[in-house]
Amino acid sequence: MSTLPRASTIFLAAITTLVAALLYSPLFVPIVSSFFPLSQGNVDWSSPTFSTYVSLAENHDILAALGTTLIVGLCTVVLSVVSGTLLALYYHGRRAGRSFLQFIIFLPFLMPPIISGLALLIFFREIGLERSLLTVVIGHTVFVLAIVYRTVLTRLQSMSRTLVEASYDLGATGWQTFWRVILPNLSSAMVGGAILAFALSFDETMITILVTGTQSTLPVRLWAMMRLGFSPDINALVALILMFTVLLCVLAARFLIPRQVATERS
Amino acid sequence: MSQNSDLLTLRSVSKSYGKVPVLHDIDLSIRDGEFLTVLGPSGSGKTTVLRLIGGLEPLTSGEIRLDGNDISRMPINRRPFNTVFQDYALFPHMTVAGNVGYGLSVRHIKRKEIASRVAKALELVQLARFADRFPAQLSGGQRQRVALARALICQPRLILLDEPLAALDLELRRQMQEFLKSIQREIKTTFLFVTHDQEEAIGMADRICVMQAGHIRQLGTPHELYYRPNCEFVARFFGENNLVAGKLGRVQGEQRSIETALGRLVCSVSGQPGLKAAPDGASAFAAFRPEALRLAEARDGDNRFAGSIAELAFAGSSTIATITAGAEGVAQRLRLRMPSRIDGSALKSGETVSLSFAPNEGHLVLA
Repeated sequence: MSTLPRASTIFLAAITTLVAALLYSPLFVPIVSSFFPLSQGNVDWSSPTFSTYVSLAENHDILAALGTTLIVGLCTVVLSVVSGTLLALYYHGRRAGRSFLQFIIFLPFLMPPIISGLALLIFFREIGLERSLLTVVIGHTVFVLAIVYRTVLTRLQSMSRTLVEASYDLGATGWQTFWRVILPNLSSAMVGGAILAFALSFDETMITILVTGTQSTLPVRLWAMMRLGFSPDINALVALILMFTVLLCVLAARFLIPRQVATERS
Repeated sequence: MSQNSDLLTLRSVSKSYGKVPVLHDIDLSIRDGEFLTVLGPSGSGKTTVLRLIGGLEPLTSGEIRLDGNDISRMPINRRPFNTVFQDYALFPHMTVAGNVGYGLSVRHIKRKEIASRVAKALELVQLARFADRFPAQLSGGQRQRVALARALICQPRLILLDEPLAALDLELRRQMQEFLKSIQREIKTTFLFVTHDQEEAIGMADRICVMQAGHIRQLGTPHELYYRPNCEFVARFFGENNLVAGKLGRVQGEQRSIETALGRLVCSVSGQPGLKAAPDGASAFAAFRPEALRLAEARDGDNRFAGSIAELAFAGSSTIATITAGAEGVAQRLRLRMPSRIDGSALKSGETVSLSFAPNEGHLVLA
């Protein structure tokens, strides 16, 4: 490959930096400003402080919302990982009906959340299911199932078929093959899928607003706070959610990189 | 060999995938303790034979007998055979010791016994130091030996090897061939080895089964296959060969003549009753190896013909000449191989020479 002339390299670097700055700097504004107090609607840059975080920690509504978010997230993870893995195992190697099933699974993920949320709301009303955390968990599971299913299925497809054959060949039963060969090879994909599912559930707002009962999750709480006016707590909350989500994504990426690559490097 | 030394017998075994037949009425007996190689080009059905025996695929028809008992419907995990897969199929999440011990641990054998048998198996394949490594940390040849140790630890009656050396480079492949052969002698277990590499087959096998297009073409020792191929396919596939088409002539004792573009050639038919009995004028080939062809000497009576040397190639220990022989229009291209000499070849490119081969070094195959 030939190298570009020096001038154009500098020009490209400048453009890239500018675009990156324009796109991503808004993300850092709440993080930075969360460390400064607000007085008369303006950020007071002169005295950095943790006061916003302290008042956030004393806000019982926020803490309750955080608890709710974690409960919903964990339930969603368990439900979606179990059902996503079972679906992937069932449809791996089966042609009949697979593309239709995938279409169904991916629909809620690809549709505008408001449509998914409304559809669920109408459905729950029709079958007489009271809006509660249960309906939120169902809503989130429907939403994130596609991610878990796809992650596990991809791993299954990349797994050599001879691994399963070798297990049988060495005298293992179907059950032993599942527990000792298939599942261990899927586990990192399942953990990765679970983390992504949790991150998605943690941030989900639209469907949650529509199908929740009296309890609100953290993003919904945030939404409610915004309607009452901009308070410094919001900066702190946004900063925390942002950092937590980034952390989850980094973790998920670690689990989803194939094991071989990691060990060969060592 | 008597009938009761047969370990495994395939009787009119056929296999189709959907409507596509891949094996036609295969009959094959594997003797106890032998190293049998199934040799064939890709698509010949050789791997399918191995998968049917291993139980990885169901038969379409026919039966497989082990010690005389039908095992055609025995599930794969109950058959006393183990396979070394082409891609080794080592479990990536288990250590070498875990992989090798897998066949024992799924049978609920005590940990202590597993540990000692794993140690012994790893000793046998010279990998004792690598027990705690993961497959990803091993070289190709080492993975290969782990796969072998894993297959032989259950003391199977038969070890099935599916082109296990295909992924290794030439030098390593040679070493592994010797290694496999020595292990087979040491543990006295029957090996069924599938390959498309005829050199590999000649070097390792007690007997070779040549397959083509879902049929067994010939089964015999490497020597039999090399010097007495029973059909054109084996004659061409197995080692380099000169084949000259013609019509069969008279039988004279253990020899028979054939009328070809090179004139009348005389070849041995000893031990080939089919060729002795074939009618006069039947289409056949005279076949003789490049190393059997040589410059004619005054005392040679039969099988003399003239040829011009089109090309000379030095190949280290031997020199190979490409020769054009016979009248224009029906000219044959032949190969001649002779030992190289430091002071150069006795042949010169472009020269016309008188050639010959001994009748007992030539043979006939029906077209």
